[in-house]
Amino acid sequence: MAVTDQREQNKGETGYNWLFFVGGDAWYLRLFVIFLGAAAGGIFYVWYTQHSNDASPDSIAGYTYAIIGTIFLLLATVLYSLNRRSHKKRTVGQLHRSLNWHICFGVLGLVFLFLHSFGNFNLRSGTYALYGMIALTLSGAVGRFLDRLIPRLITGEVHKALTVMGDDRMETISQKLQAIVVHNTQDLHGFASVPGEKSHTASTSLVSLSGPVSSDFSFMHKDQALQTPWDLAYISLEATPQELSREANHYRFIPDKKSELTRPGALMPGAQEHISELQEVEQAMQREIFYRYVIRYWRKFHVLLALLMLALTLWHIIYAGQLLLPVLLHR
Amino acid sequence: MLKTGFESGANSVVMLHKTVPQVAQELHACIGCNECLLACPAATDSITIDVLNRETLAGPISVPVARFARSCYQCGACIAPCPVGLHRDAMMMWLKVRMLRSGWGE
Repeated sequence: MAVTDQREQNKGETGYNWLFFVGGDAWYLRLFVIFLGAAAGGIFYVWYTQHSNDASPDSIAGYTYAIIGTIFLLLATVLYSLNRRSHKKRTVGQLHRSLNWHICFGVLGLVFLFLHSFGNFNLRSGTYALYGMIALTLSGAVGRFLDRLIPRLITGEVHKALTVMGDDRMETISQKLQAIVVHNTQDLHGFASVPGEKSHTASTSLVSLSGPVSSDFSFMHKDQALQTPWDLAYISLEATPQELSREANHYRFIPDKKSELTRPGALMPGAQEHISELQEVEQAMQREIFYRYVIRYWRKFHVLLALLMLALTLWHIIYAGQLLLPVLLHR
Repeated sequence: MLKTGFESGANSVVMLHKTVPQVAQELHACIGCNECLLACPAATDSITIDVLNRETLAGPISVPVARFARSCYQCGACIAPCPVGLHRDAMMMWLKVRMLRSGWGE
């Protein structure tokens, strides 16, 4: 038991699982604030609609919702952005807390602005501003999901691109492939030297070959060539030594119609597999780049939506102000 | 040589990962100023840079470092503040690959 514990301790934390959650008191506090804010807004909404005849966006309750929602939105936008860009000395984890408040205020802002509408979606500017807000909050939620998904996908691709020892797998495969090509090129050159010796007799040319080819044909000494009389009666139906050695290495590069060597790439055994591996690594690296772009541009998309939402809100405030100010001034 | 990181102003295609020798080189070049962790929006625990550096390359991974690696979403916020121009995101990537492989029983 103690040995197992020690082994676990030596191994440390393992796995890069999807279902990973770090709660903590701070996280539950933010969740509580969201529920408390939404519940307070909701209860007041129900009470107000039952006890008032003026349940509209331009009522006192409607303005209150609008102001509170806008404050939450501004807090969500400004606090995190300022905190990120601030050069003030931070502590580790401060930005994470700030990001959590950003989410909390964003959700509360959406809830209060939705309540501000009182179900009235006739005014175009306000409806568009609300749609913008919903799109912004959804893009944030999707972004958080992508923050969890994409790094895991990238890690899977990097795992393919690195060897067990953490070296560049593409380089390793390229080296192996290069070695195969060099080896086979040398073999082909060795074999290709035979046609160059056309002027000599067959036995001389075979004897002149170096390496395994010449040693395999050593039994064919030139003194022994055609010493026996040429008579069909002496031809045996048994396999000759040459036929028996048909499967030997020096026949590797003599393809016939039935031979496997006629296959494309058969003259470079192992090369095709390495080329496939190279393609696999290349695809993994391309996917890695794509995933990085998703992370990068989703943030830009979220910021763009925030700017759009801000513009729509300003348009709505100016539009509503033009309608309401004359009424308020003439009261 | 693989290019890495969110280099500021670089529009060219960049790779996130680095090989282990490159990661080791960067870890040795780290001056331990902690700027990368301070700029990280994913860091929740108060982990220290020396512990992170020690556990990134090899050896057992402690709970806070593993939690940090799982939370890290490769946003690249750690690169710009580094005074010596290191790529913490590439180091974190190797840590994640290690964790992924260890999870498969390798």
